[in-house]
Amino acid sequence: MFGYTFQWKQALSKLPQMLDGALVTMEIALLSMAIGIALAVLLTLFRLSGNRALNGFAVTWVEIARNTPALFQIYMAHFGVASFGIHFSPFTSLLIGITFNNAGYLAENFRGALKAIPETQTRAGRSLGMTPLQAFGYIVMPQMLRIAFLPMTNQMVWAILMTSLGVTVGLNVDLYGVTQDLNALTFRTFELFAIAGVIFYLITKVIQLGARLVAARLFRY
Amino acid sequence: MKLGLTLGGIAAAAVLATAAQADKLDDIIASGTLRCAVTLDFPPMGMRDASNNPIGFDVDYCNDLAAALGVTAEIVDTPFPERIPALMSGRVDVGVASTSDTLERAKTVGFSIPYYAFENAVVANDKVEMTDWEGMKGKTVGATAGTYEAIWLEGQVKAWGEGEFRPYQTQADVFLALSQGQLDATVSTVEVAEANVKSGNFPGIRIVDKAPMVPDYVALFAMRNEYGLINYLDLFVNQQVRTGRYAELYKKWIGDGEPADLSIPGVYR
Amino acid sequence: MFDTALSAADLWFLTKGAGMTILVTAVSVVFGTVLGIIFGVFRYQLGPIWAAPVTFVLDVSRSIPLLIQLVLANAFLGTVLRLQMTGFTVACMVLTLYTAAYCAEIVRGGIDAVPLNTRRAARSLGMSWGQDMRYIVMPLATRVALPSWIGLALGVMKDSALVYVVQVVELMKSTQILITRLQEPLFLLCICGLFYFVISFPLARFGGYLEKRWSND
Repeated sequence: MFGYTFQWKQALSKLPQMLDGALVTMEIALLSMAIGIALAVLLTLFRLSGNRALNGFAVTWVEIARNTPALFQIYMAHFGVASFGIHFSPFTSLLIGITFNNAGYLAENFRGALKAIPETQTRAGRSLGMTPLQAFGYIVMPQMLRIAFLPMTNQMVWAILMTSLGVTVGLNVDLYGVTQDLNALTFRTFELFAIAGVIFYLITKVIQLGARLVAARLFRY
Repeated sequence: MKLGLTLGGIAAAAVLATAAQADKLDDIIASGTLRCAVTLDFPPMGMRDASNNPIGFDVDYCNDLAAALGVTAEIVDTPFPERIPALMSGRVDVGVASTSDTLERAKTVGFSIPYYAFENAVVANDKVEMTDWEGMKGKTVGATAGTYEAIWLEGQVKAWGEGEFRPYQTQADVFLALSQGQLDATVSTVEVAEANVKSGNFPGIRIVDKAPMVPDYVALFAMRNEYGLINYLDLFVNQQVRTGRYAELYKKWIGDGEPADLSIPGVYR
Repeated sequence: MFDTALSAADLWFLTKGAGMTILVTAVSVVFGTVLGIIFGVFRYQLGPIWAAPVTFVLDVSRSIPLLIQLVLANAFLGTVLRLQMTGFTVACMVLTLYTAAYCAEIVRGGIDAVPLNTRRAARSLGMSWGQDMRYIVMPLATRVALPSWIGLALGVMKDSALVYVVQVVELMKSTQILITRLQEPLFLLCICGLFYFVISFPLARFGGYLEKRWSND
């Protein structure tokens, strides 16, 4: 029926290498999310600060992250900034690129979430003697993170998917990089990438399931 | 009447049989175009001129092949990792893309006799102390993903047990990274190394040493089962050398000197 | 500031790349939206169990890197089935399904946002299902869905940077080709980024404006 002979056995024998790659992929995604959330909170604070320079910085970051391709951001983190003599390893470049992207999108999600939190709460906190930062940290931020939990889960899935762009900056230890290396050696393109696709699918399902469990535990009303 | 029917049936069957036997070579001649996979970031074999049109040794080689077949050539820009997938998916008819004829690849595609042979050189960033190829030990090195030299270099790094290997998607990215100092050294064909050093596009790089590899014989490739086409390619490569066109192209794109010997002493094919 | 070898011809080359980016995006978003609306309504009407096969396919499209989807589709259609397809066709097919996957979710969210009582009122006025969909659900759901849809369209445009793997020379690939020849990565990348930004930013702002204007509070 097909003018093509599938060689699944040959491809499946590479599964251990690909699973090692999957671990690196998850490592990059988790790191980029952790740092990304921290940066996004910082950017949100900058926007709330009322300081024009800080606000401008945050807005610029968010708009660039949201209006250019992730591929562009990662390529820039490796080859672009190297023009200034700043060198990052492929791993770091990919991490920076994805983190930059995560922070931008998450900051925008946080901004949306803030709209749902009445300003009177901050004022109430302030009148109890809290500093503005305390009011944000103890009253607003926990609610903000809760409201933005679903978008954060989505961003985590995107972070996983974005790791596949690491090959453009010379990374070959993540799942996509490993798969492409194996493909260059054996040319079983369809078989290898189908396996990689299944692994990616399973990873995202695990993350979505995990997020649901976490949400069920943390956000009981 | 009956006889006529039978004869007609035989004739029809014969026509059908011939039609079914038309192979790729016939298809190419009938279609009037030869689609070649050429890698256009591999100077001087494949590159683009100031108006971004394809030029180079491989481009000329494809044009010659098309002329021999009496058809027009269509150059399909194909990055290194995409060469064989492009053929397998029927997007191109033959590969004229400086492809090493490895046994692993021959499991998937069919190779002609070699049409060129590269020697490989070690190229280093000026800021890195390095006198010979073994100076790469423990350094950050890189090459174009999926190429002969990349496979060799990655093997070396693994054997040394220190240093780092980075495969980039294109030859240009490798030299960009080398010039920026992100890589300490790379291994590439002598032709590419010399062209890149000479072009001045990549400041701060120098050729250090020859890499101790078996010469990298490269061949044309087509679908594994298209014997008619592969036979034709073999004869075409032979004729290119016989008629002196090979030497002519060498002079045009690589420079003065002896073009590489394409025969291997002591063994057939 | 920049001493560049970039010529007018090269700038035209980049513009052609940007044109290809817009073309691929436009084709995929148009077909993807139509498919997405069909799938979205289909899912809503049939309920989660009967629509499970469609849901699964769309879910896969959202859970696997676009790069892998493109490589797989290209390998399957080309290498396995031996269909003579151009990279452009493959790119559009994959991106269409990708758009449809997200669009179906947006459509479902939009329909969900229409209060059931409003629809019951419509039906009790003697409207048919089609009339209810056409005159009640569509106008209300569009208000909810349009800002997200604009976001999706822009997302597809940015993700179309990946179709270089199936040999489509779009904006990002054109930039890389020029970097190969001119060796001015930072400058060329800035131009490339600016191109994307100029296309994306005004539309994103328009989406934000609509969202603000149409929100109920």
